[in-house]
Amino acid sequence: SKDRLLGVSPDLVARYVPTKKGSAETWQCLDGSKTIDWSSVNDDYCDCTDGTDEPGTSACPDSRFYCVNAGHIGSYIPSTRVRDGLCEPECCDGSDEPEGVCPNVCKQVGEEYRERVKAENKLRKTGSKIRSTYLAFAQKEKKRLEEEIASSAQEISAREKEVARLRDLVERTESLSAAALEEKKSSPLYQSLITHHAALKSLQREHKKHLERETALGEILDQLRTGYNPNYQDMAVLEAVRGWEQLAGLPHINDVGKEDENPDELGSDESEAASEEEQLEEGIWSTEQLEHQLDDLLATDYEGLLIEHDKHVGAPASPTSILFNLSAYLPDAVVPQYEALRDQLVSWLELLGLAQSKTDTAADTSKAQKTLGDAEHNLNLARREKEDKERELSRLFDPEWYGPDGEWKKLAGTCIEKESGDYVYEVCLFDEARQKPLKGGQTFSLGKFAEWNNAEGIEKGSPAYYSKQHYTRGAKCWNGPQRSVTLDMSCGLENAVLSVAELEKCEYEFKVTTPALCLPLSASDIKREEL
Amino acid sequence: FKSQDFKTCSQSGFCRRGRALSARASESPSWRSPYSVDASSIALSSDQASFIAAVKSSIYPDVKFSLDVRIHDDGVVRVRMDEVDGLRKHYDEAASWALLDEPKVSQQVQWKVGKDGVSAVYGAKKDVEVKVAFEPLKVTLLRNGKEQVVLNNRGLLHMEHFRTKESVAKGKEGIAVPEEGLDIDDDAQVVLGAHPRTAWFEGEQEDSWWEETFNSFTDPKPRGPESLSVDIDFPNHGHVYGIPQHATRLDLPTTTGENAHYSDPYRLYNADVFEYLADSTTSLYGSIPFMHAHSADSTVAIFNAVGSDTFIDIGHPTAKSSTSHWISETGILDVFIFPGPTPADVFAQYTRLTGTPALPAHWALGYHQCRWNYVSSDDVRTVQKRFDEEDIPVDVFWLDIEYSEEHKYFIWDRKHFPDPVDMIKDVEAIGRHMVVIVDPHLKRTNDYPVYKQATELGILVKKGDGTTDYEGWCWSGSSAWVDFFNPGSWDWWKSLFKTESQGEQWSWVDSTVDTGIWNDMNEPSIFNGPEISMPRENIHYGGWEHRDLHNINGMLFHNLTSQAAMARTDPPKRPFVLTRSFYAGSQRFGAMWTGDNLGTWEHMAVGVKMVLANNIAGFSFAGSDVGGFFGNPEPEMLVRWYGVGIFSPFFRAHAHIDTKRREPFLLDEPYKGIVRDMLRLRYAMLPVWYTAFREASVTGLPVVRPHFVVFPQDENGFSLDDQFFVGGSGLLVKPVTRKGATEETVYLPAEDQVYYDYFNDYAYRSTSSKGKEITVSAELHQIPLFIRGGSIIPTRERPRRSSPLMKRDPFTLRVALSSDGSARGELYLDDGETFSHQQGQFVWREFAAEKPTKKSKGVRISSRDLAAQKPAEAVDHVALTTYDSSNAFAKDIADVRVEKIVVLGLPAKPSSVTIESGKELRWTYTPGVASSDKKGGTASVLVIRDPKLAITGDWSILVQA
Repeated sequence: SKDRLLGVSPDLVARYVPTKKGSAETWQCLDGSKTIDWSSVNDDYCDCTDGTDEPGTSACPDSRFYCVNAGHIGSYIPSTRVRDGLCEPECCDGSDEPEGVCPNVCKQVGEEYRERVKAENKLRKTGSKIRSTYLAFAQKEKKRLEEEIASSAQEISAREKEVARLRDLVERTESLSAAALEEKKSSPLYQSLITHHAALKSLQREHKKHLERETALGEILDQLRTGYNPNYQDMAVLEAVRGWEQLAGLPHINDVGKEDENPDELGSDESEAASEEEQLEEGIWSTEQLEHQLDDLLATDYEGLLIEHDKHVGAPASPTSILFNLSAYLPDAVVPQYEALRDQLVSWLELLGLAQSKTDTAADTSKAQKTLGDAEHNLNLARREKEDKERELSRLFDPEWYGPDGEWKKLAGTCIEKESGDYVYEVCLFDEARQKPLKGGQTFSLGKFAEWNNAEGIEKGSPAYYSKQHYTRGAKCWNGPQRSVTLDMSCGLENAVLSVAELEKCEYEFKVTTPALCLPLSASDIKREEL
Repeated sequence: FKSQDFKTCSQSGFCRRGRALSARASESPSWRSPYSVDASSIALSSDQASFIAAVKSSIYPDVKFSLDVRIHDDGVVRVRMDEVDGLRKHYDEAASWALLDEPKVSQQVQWKVGKDGVSAVYGAKKDVEVKVAFEPLKVTLLRNGKEQVVLNNRGLLHMEHFRTKESVAKGKEGIAVPEEGLDIDDDAQVVLGAHPRTAWFEGEQEDSWWEETFNSFTDPKPRGPESLSVDIDFPNHGHVYGIPQHATRLDLPTTTGENAHYSDPYRLYNADVFEYLADSTTSLYGSIPFMHAHSADSTVAIFNAVGSDTFIDIGHPTAKSSTSHWISETGILDVFIFPGPTPADVFAQYTRLTGTPALPAHWALGYHQCRWNYVSSDDVRTVQKRFDEEDIPVDVFWLDIEYSEEHKYFIWDRKHFPDPVDMIKDVEAIGRHMVVIVDPHLKRTNDYPVYKQATELGILVKKGDGTTDYEGWCWSGSSAWVDFFNPGSWDWWKSLFKTESQGEQWSWVDSTVDTGIWNDMNEPSIFNGPEISMPRENIHYGGWEHRDLHNINGMLFHNLTSQAAMARTDPPKRPFVLTRSFYAGSQRFGAMWTGDNLGTWEHMAVGVKMVLANNIAGFSFAGSDVGGFFGNPEPEMLVRWYGVGIFSPFFRAHAHIDTKRREPFLLDEPYKGIVRDMLRLRYAMLPVWYTAFREASVTGLPVVRPHFVVFPQDENGFSLDDQFFVGGSGLLVKPVTRKGATEETVYLPAEDQVYYDYFNDYAYRSTSSKGKEITVSAELHQIPLFIRGGSIIPTRERPRRSSPLMKRDPFTLRVALSSDGSARGELYLDDGETFSHQQGQFVWREFAAEKPTKKSKGVRISSRDLAAQKPAEAVDHVALTTYDSSNAFAKDIADVRVEKIVVLGLPAKPSSVTIESGKELRWTYTPGVASSDKKGGTASVLVIRDPKLAITGDWSILVQA
């Protein structure tokens, strides 16, 4: 009878027939576990352990009800929804409820469905056209990168030769000048200078560390100030926030009474106080100078300076110096003879290694070294550039990066954003996601691109794999984890962020559309439309 | 836990004084209370069992006190004492907020005035006697000549009278400050140092009389000392229970005497305690100053109607006796003594006084899904969708504080909740409900209509000066608090919840009439206040200081919100309002939960005990946050916590904003499947829970009952608090709260009875001599659950998405035969949401299984109309005189049938199973142990297949051997 078949799907109808033995009609549960009266099928009492005797009622938990939905597509609902008084959207024919409860709306639902499918397909079609330009772009990129890598290789080999030539030159000059320079370096002045240098450098390092700590502390306190949670019900936190505001000259936040009074006035005391700068002693560096000029100072070429110094104060008291200066004490008449004699003497001394040549070899060495350094630097740059390009090339068709067809390459570095609440949320694809406050304050990194969909059971390279991107290890939340973002992506004509949600503390979800996910329509997709 | 935020007894002046008094008394062999009744002043009422008398204190001869003792209709004794003609008035309104009505004083019982005291004998067997001794003043309740309750037994009664701060003036003149205020009229007696007449009793130090500093807070105490101390002893009862809320055992451990379990007294001072300890006497969010004393002979109880900070010391001088010492900061003596003698009598007496638990809306017994916070309308919709995709039942979705714009409650944060009413309606479309939080702190900004109107009405709590609005700090930043003690606030608050526009008057049109309300932070919690609450010197309506009524404050907010929710429709619907803070009487207004627990096994375990403690203190609709509020529970812990939750009267999962999401659909298998099955078990048993709530609403008997309540004579059960009974159904459960458990031991009470494992029908036997301890398997998917022989359990076994969708589903009856082959059970049904049951729109059935003849091996199972038998006992608030079994509700569910009857423990295979009118039924029988067998083993099971009998009808089925 018709009632016995209620809720049975077309592929199982053939199994819902009674076995006749005389006048008795029986039926076997689909798992074969039990034979029951045919009249017990769909009689609103669960007999079979697999629940198959009640396809049309709610009597067996965890069984399924099939709605025929003539005029639309048939679908299953769980037995928990059968005869529960509600009309299921999945059962437009109303067969899940007693007659008269739910109208049959399949004609309309079917039409709407087909319209929707049509619209979706249209979107996909258009989107896939854009996507195909991404594919073409990837091919162009491939060519470009390959060419650039080749030209880089040439450049590198030229630069390698140049470096080798310069290194040879430096080595030769160095061997000449090394001894003389070593001698000069033993000067106590130079030694003291080096010690000062080392001390200054250490101080600078310590200073930087402190500055970094201060910045980090400031960030923590800023976060505390804007994001603190009165949940901790802790006045110590409030005191800390107030203290920071005073120290950093920030206006009081979340303080209704004070905001009402005069928001403009806030913080002005502090800025005044800050402008009242300390009178610096002459020659003492300002913060500005310390920040910008210290590195230059520390980069000073001391050896060059040493040589300069020699020139400045005259030759050191080497054996030749007396000879050079002696002429000043001699009567003019004997000077020419003396000079001839002296030159002779100096050349002897030089031969004996007792005096140094007047030639400025030290300066030459330093200059050559600098040229070599520059050349090496350029070589490294060229190599790094080549490596970068090679990496880009290898990622281009890597399923874990820009996809097997390189369809995502086009979007690398593309930044899209969405305003939500008090922030603008931005993601630069394959790079970094950020939270930018609208009302002033710090921009926080929400994480760097880490991977595609990492959920269990998701096959690498499948459409589901490309439906999600994870950006991780962003700025740490106060009293929370490092921020992170998951992009939940779907096909759309534009690359855009539709919505932003922070479902758990510091874990964001961006809904994103992109043509890169608009796969070309398959035959079955088109068929769906025609149903 | 930040112990430094909260006072111990030794950090609290009045408690120090109270404990010192007790110490002096115990050290002095000749200690004698200074309070006595002036026999000549006794004035008996001519027409009822009450009298008044003057009381004198030998240490302050000029201070006058009055005593008022009454015996109510039901034998409850009320003892009141207050100072007369004092400088000021002591707070005397606590009882008026707690009590349902003014109790009726007996017109039968007669007081007799004797030489040494006044006494009265009453009770059906004239076995109860109340004696009020004159000198010293002492009130004793006796039963059969045995002392049950003795007030001022140890002479610790002391009501500090009001005095002036003379000492200040004296100090200014450079004269040494007298330690003792003495009588204000008695200038001649002002002496230096303590007065010997008072020092023996009050001590030699003037300890924190006029000012008290705690942390950075100074309490100015403008009224000086006014504390109240009273000892109430139970010389023949070895166990005391009650005085929630404390995270401790049900059978209250001692705080005094040798080997005291705790060093600090139990404290009642409603407080928002961050990360509270799982084993402590510190005060928590609510206070019910109601205590049972129990022995195998009798149960008695007392209710100390005081609203101020109260410390209670408990001792057991012997294993068979108990003492209690109550030390309160302010208030009059107003003690109710409940004579019992059974736990059921005590519940009836206590709830007649303070009200029974309100019958909740049926949906409120379903599963509540909460989190701080579901962050947007879309989030709420997605969570609902995920539940449905996984076919996991749920009734309620909750919104915590982040739904509101800047924590201005009622005002939606439109950026994330652009369409609140549509969102709520999407939830309600599946028969579900939403609950939205409304806290008592009002953001002080004039663009917040609620604050603006409250300011204009002048109904905010005032600072100590009595005129300036108090300002404190809470979620909303700078905030103010409505003084709900002010009658001027009541109509205004009710109007706020109206869902239709009220013209000029702002109202919550962005909500629905079915939206439930959550009242949190109503202790009140104030982040920058002393002990995270309100300064005690703040002034409420009538000029009372906050210290007088602190513990009642939260109840008033709950009360008014509950009334407001009811006032949304005409006729009203049953309101659902959850509160964190509570007092005696709060059970009339909705549900409570145990606050911000931690995700630890200890908190899971103590939550069960706390829910039991609330249940025996009249407040049945109680639960703990499933999963623990703080922390990320591992799957095992979460699953076990659901096992606790499905057996809690109030069943809600909740989580802190910093925790990972943990909705059941997020779990991996097998955890998800186990939780789904547990939730389905809860839903299958909703008929049992609802029936238990009906009983609670009428009789006051708790919804979950510890052993001592059900088996008051079984000493083995007196300290049991990790297993309990569900209503009067006969279901005994022991939720598993131990990590890694695979087995549990369960105690079966001392009776000659069979207990069936709910899941595998195994029959265990207990004995009347000493009960029985059994060990059962308790793997992660298992919960030790038993049906006591003699019970019939009605369930609805078809899983649905929400409980209202089960309305037309058929019932299964599980008949668990007793050792003598009989059983009975009850079922109560009504529309679950209106008050039409009070007009007789309900069904109340009794199912019974009896042997047709004494020697028969068969059984007759019948369904009878209980409502027709006992209309007056059917519903709370009205004593119906008649019941119409064909009322509209009954007619509406006339087609709801019994689809299955399972009979456990038949002695033999039946020869036939017929409806009494003659129709043969289909059945299957699996042989097994009979209910009368001496041995254990899997019970015989008879399954009667679809008898198609109406749940509302009278019928009987004959099972013949």
